[in-house]
Amino acid sequence: MNKPSVAIIAFALSLAAGTAAAHHAFSAEFDENKPVKLTGKITEMKWSNPHAWIYIDVTGQDGKIVNWAFETGGVNALYRRGWRREDLPVGATVTIDGWQARNGTTTANAREIAFADGRRLFAGSSNPSAKDEK
Amino acid sequence: MSRFLIFRLQPEATCPQVASGFRIYVASGCSRKCVTLAVALLVLTTVAHAQTPAPAPAPAAPGPIARMPDGKPDLEGMFMADGGGANYGFERRPTVNMTPGGRGVIVDPPDGLMPMLPWTRAEVASRQKPERGYDDPTAHCFVAGIPRSMYVPSPMQIMQPPGYIVILHERMSWRVIPLDGRPHLPAHMRLWQGDSVGRWDGDTLVVETTNMNGKTWLNEAGELVTHAQTVVERFTPVHANRIDYQATITDPLAYSRPFTIAFALNRQPDELLEVACHEDNQDLEHLKDVKDAAAAAGTSKP
Repeated sequence: MNKPSVAIIAFALSLAAGTAAAHHAFSAEFDENKPVKLTGKITEMKWSNPHAWIYIDVTGQDGKIVNWAFETGGVNALYRRGWRREDLPVGATVTIDGWQARNGTTTANAREIAFADGRRLFAGSSNPSAKDEK
Repeated sequence: MSRFLIFRLQPEATCPQVASGFRIYVASGCSRKCVTLAVALLVLTTVAHAQTPAPAPAPAAPGPIARMPDGKPDLEGMFMADGGGANYGFERRPTVNMTPGGRGVIVDPPDGLMPMLPWTRAEVASRQKPERGYDDPTAHCFVAGIPRSMYVPSPMQIMQPPGYIVILHERMSWRVIPLDGRPHLPAHMRLWQGDSVGRWDGDTLVVETTNMNGKTWLNEAGELVTHAQTVVERFTPVHANRIDYQATITDPLAYSRPFTIAFALNRQPDELLEVACHEDNQDLEHLKDVKDAAAAAGTSKP
């Protein structure tokens, strides 16, 4: 698995006034009372507008696999933070925490994505962790 | 070279110094080649800092205001608002769960509060219910209006061809602002971005926008304006890398007096990127689900 380089992460952190694409009230769409933290294998990374999406297969305690969709910042925000397509290959195991959608589907807004080796990518869209929301 | 010719090519000698540490600044008109070089140097410099802890040298002082041949300030370049959370509400507030806080951007009235009329306050409170999130026009990929286009969390490029200021807002809109003193459009013409005309007041660019359609929201908090809204923006360059921005909103149908917001526009080592907003707008479907559920429960109108 390709690793996001130190340079990329440093570059992302250096963009002090980066952009976190947000175009609606996140608390309207996602439920702050439903935090989720799930581990699974990436099945798809959609570099789409107005937000990008990461899909992961999560295996439940009953062995059943459920596909979850995690919304991240917009494509441009991720790109400016240093994210690249190869950073999130299909099959990689990640742990994502965020908040589930109010409509009750297996959809959530991602706050942070952690890889098995401990590396982390900030995913936030418009939540309190959006440290580049100035 | 960008397909949009967004960088004016100039001799490399006009490129600025790359500041040490974590910030660089690129002067307007700087060539793309220079931008690439500057970014590469930034990464190298930043990595060096990450690997070798050492006292960071003082950043290079930004240069003076650049000027056009006619002596007017040269505002060209990529800028990003240090918007103070204005896109989530104008008044000072803490972060509450998923709603980002803000430092408060209102500088007039002095109490930092929006001078809302009673109906305005009631409507804003209504818009803050989850089922009203669907009603924010930007959730439907409509343009943000004025002044919201200035502080949505996306950058903008300012261009300055003779007789005009052009602002390319990355979030899917633009403004071509004539400086020749022409009148506004007839009052019956109502636009999402309104009609902007500009003039210079010393080194300050003053832009007046009228002919708004009243459909835009000021931010995700649902703070509102009506079609009676007029906005007077003031762009005052402070040095080569910063413009102080103020916008005075006058809307007698919604507010008891004009009020003014203020924040800085900071130059960015960046370029405009594409935003195809409706490509995969799953959010809108989710927000519609929330709205429909509330309607079914009888807590709101469909």
